Amino acid sequence: MEKDELIRMESFCMIYEIEPAFLHLLEESGLVEIVHEQDEEYIATTALEQLEKFMRLHHDLDINANGLEAIAYLLQKISDLQDEISRLKNRLNLYE
Amino acid sequence: MAYIDYYKILGVDKKASQEEIKKAYRKLARKMHPDLNPDDKDAHKKFQQINEANEVLSDPDKRKKYDQYGEHWQHADEIEKNKARQDQYQQSGGFSGDMNEGDFSDFFESLFGKQTQQHRGRNVKFRGQDFNAELVLLLKLAYTTHQQTLAVNGKNIRITIPAGVENGQIIRLKGHGGPGVNGGPQGDLYITFVIEKDPVFRRDGNDLHTVVDLDLYTAVLGGEILLDTFSGKIKLKVNPETQNGTKIRLKGKGFPVYKHEGVFGDLYVTYQIKIPTGLTEKQKELFTQLSKL
Repeated sequence: MEKDELIRMESFCMIYEIEPAFLHLLEESGLVEIVHEQDEEYIATTALEQLEKFMRLHHDLDINANGLEAIAYLLQKISDLQDEISRLKNRLNLYE
Repeated sequence: MAYIDYYKILGVDKKASQEEIKKAYRKLARKMHPDLNPDDKDAHKKFQQINEANEVLSDPDKRKKYDQYGEHWQHADEIEKNKARQDQYQQSGGFSGDMNEGDFSDFFESLFGKQTQQHRGRNVKFRGQDFNAELVLLLKLAYTTHQQTLAVNGKNIRITIPAGVENGQIIRLKGHGGPGVNGGPQGDLYITFVIEKDPVFRRDGNDLHTVVDLDLYTAVLGGEILLDTFSGKIKLKVNPETQNGTKIRLKGKGFPVYKHEGVFGDLYVTYQIKIPTGLTEKQKELFTQLSKL
């Protein structure tokens, strides 16, 4: 991964006012990938959107990393099901 | 502008304690949080309402003012002229989830003034709200890659729509959503495509289906017909003795495959043989002769 696609975790935590421990918990749950290079830790810019969502849920609803893991799984499942419904609806339209 | 019953929104009694309000708020917020209800406009609206209700009822000063003026809130401004007082309001711990300025009702702002971001608790940067829009396309338009200009919140956005886009498909335009909170990045714009039904062609994935009328003589004797397609006219050879309902496949003449340039589905043509009507005496005679052969 290119350096300009990564954000230093320290800077990220400072900007977003969040403890690095929270990100490590998310990493343990497989919800975010932390890139380790030499003595520095980085986060991919592509993971930001998802990460912000987790942070909002964590702050707003007091959901811990385990809860976020379950939510991420269920949201993905809902999204897959919605795609499937959309495909099936399109097929159903053919017979209407 | 209508009076909003914040107690009703949170489902609590007017005498509810702060703890009961907090509990009711958190319970509703867990259900309606925008991050848990993506693409659900009703949930987003409801979330804004409960956030607003909590903003008022969880703050003793605001709650007092709200209770005091209640349905006579329209006179509140006359009485409460000194708006500087608003800056002394303590933070109420309101949620951040995809909220930004303008997410308070006119009723709220009439009673408490326009809320700015610093009143909203944490000073954390967050992405702006994601916007959702629908774009209706004719099937023929979805056949080709083309550009369209959309007006979103007063701004014109020119987008390229790739050929083969599906009905119900959603594309994301990064940074075209609501403004970020506390200097955070802008949200995204999600466009859902609604492909209208075509009177001639029906689409099944990347394949197209159509029904073509065939006159009796061409069906019996064979011949050629011209078929109008989205990519122009196609000459079709009709075999002699073609039966009604015969379906032929034209490979690669269907719908373009999304983001696979030059790759197309197939076109299925079903022949519908039309029996001639209003026969002349001569024609009837010839058909009679034929029937006796």
